[in-house]
Amino acid sequence: MQSTLRKKLLDAFTEHEGEYLSGQYLADLIGCSRTAVWKHIEDLRHEGFELEAIRRKGYRIVKAPDLVTANEIRLGLKTSIIGQEIHYHETVDSTQKIAHRLGFENVPEGTVVVADEQVGGRGRMNRPWHSAKGTGVWMSIILRPSIPLPKAPQLTLLTAVAVVQAIGDCTELEPHIKWPNDILINGKKVTGILTELQAEADQIHSVIIGIGINVNQQKSDYPPELQSIATSLAIEKGEFVNRAELIQAVFTRLEKLYALYLEKGFLPIKLLWESYAISIGKKITARTLSGNLTGKALGITDDGVLMLEDDQGTIHQIYSADIEIG
Amino acid sequence: MLKVQEIRELIKLVDQSNLDEFVYEVDDCKIKMKKNQAGVVTVSSQPAVAPVVVEAPKPQAGAPAAPAAVQQDAPKEEAAPEPIVNENLHQVTSPMVGTFYASPSPDQDAYVKVGDKVSNDSIVCIVEAMKLFNEIEAEVSGEIVEILVKDGQLVEYGQPLFLVKLQ
Repeated sequence: MQSTLRKKLLDAFTEHEGEYLSGQYLADLIGCSRTAVWKHIEDLRHEGFELEAIRRKGYRIVKAPDLVTANEIRLGLKTSIIGQEIHYHETVDSTQKIAHRLGFENVPEGTVVVADEQVGGRGRMNRPWHSAKGTGVWMSIILRPSIPLPKAPQLTLLTAVAVVQAIGDCTELEPHIKWPNDILINGKKVTGILTELQAEADQIHSVIIGIGINVNQQKSDYPPELQSIATSLAIEKGEFVNRAELIQAVFTRLEKLYALYLEKGFLPIKLLWESYAISIGKKITARTLSGNLTGKALGITDDGVLMLEDDQGTIHQIYSADIEIG
Repeated sequence: MLKVQEIRELIKLVDQSNLDEFVYEVDDCKIKMKKNQAGVVTVSSQPAVAPVVVEAPKPQAGAPAAPAAVQQDAPKEEAAPEPIVNENLHQVTSPMVGTFYASPSPDQDAYVKVGDKVSNDSIVCIVEAMKLFNEIEAEVSGEIVEILVKDGQLVEYGQPLFLVKLQ
């Protein structure tokens, strides 16, 4: 009996692909109560189906089980370094921590740790990063560049460019970068990047790039205090985005930019970064531990350092700060 | 046998004099002072082979009694390129330009404080630039004797961050 109802339900969604079906419509169609429909919808969710529920419109299946396992990512992947070795975990404390351990174990360059859910995700200054199950891309990529250690921070800007391009490839959205590497859509944060270095004295051992992309979260997934500052690709695009394809796009873009960087240095990356930058030429406030600085963002130096001109015309070089625009 | 106070007095006198070199020898104790050189004072007892001890020498034993200024300057080859100021003090320097963080986050305790013992792989601080976080390791074993920068301060490439008294 149950399975017949389920079948009818799925048939209805198949027939009306991409449309919203109201709870009442489905209840009438399959001959049960709206509560029973809701229960079936919940069951589907548990099985990995992605459903959208919009008030006054109804339900819509956006995708059959969407996974980010090694197999899903590898299928169709055309890179030669990044993602050749993938460590998938359903739930992790933090992909960075695992990648750190792998970094010490001398895994090949380009090894990636990816998780479906991250319960201990963190951002700058150990701020928690909201990483719900099945909704985003939470991963850490291990690189081992032969570059002088002081140049390593440039890789964080490079990664931001790669993610912006990858999001464009998959969604046609046009995200912007807020210095140094926050990615925003319509002024709200969609991606955070945090990079850690394993080094001995002046020698880089591993660069561990942590990337968190909000992909299929709905507005209701965010606590109220985050709704005005955070968004997801699905919210902005208005439709579901395949996470495995997005991860592949990030790998492809990153690999290309990384090769360009190793060959030609930071300059071509800088030009790309500037073309996506949102804050340049605008009034910004840089919040640092040693105080706030307000002024005009002039651009970045050849090392990626933010140049801020204050009201007295003094130009400050900013290495670390939270930037507020306007 | 000379006392520390007497050696100090001698240094002062030699320092104020026109002498370039001063050697004092009695029994198995020898004091040699040279000016215009990094190691100003060397005191050695005969039985000891190389170690240089800035202290009232104990002729019968090579083992130093560990007062404040004990020198264990056995000629180590790898120590040569290190930027050493005070010979038994090691400077932990910043490998890049960035912001110095004494603790993992503002509400947590500092990685180390003065008096803490550290070993090679002890994390002593973070230097961050453009959201790239570099956990700095002590890379020597010893005791933190001074923290030279403030939390949140911008540090330059090569800038000394900590002084570690080598074990």
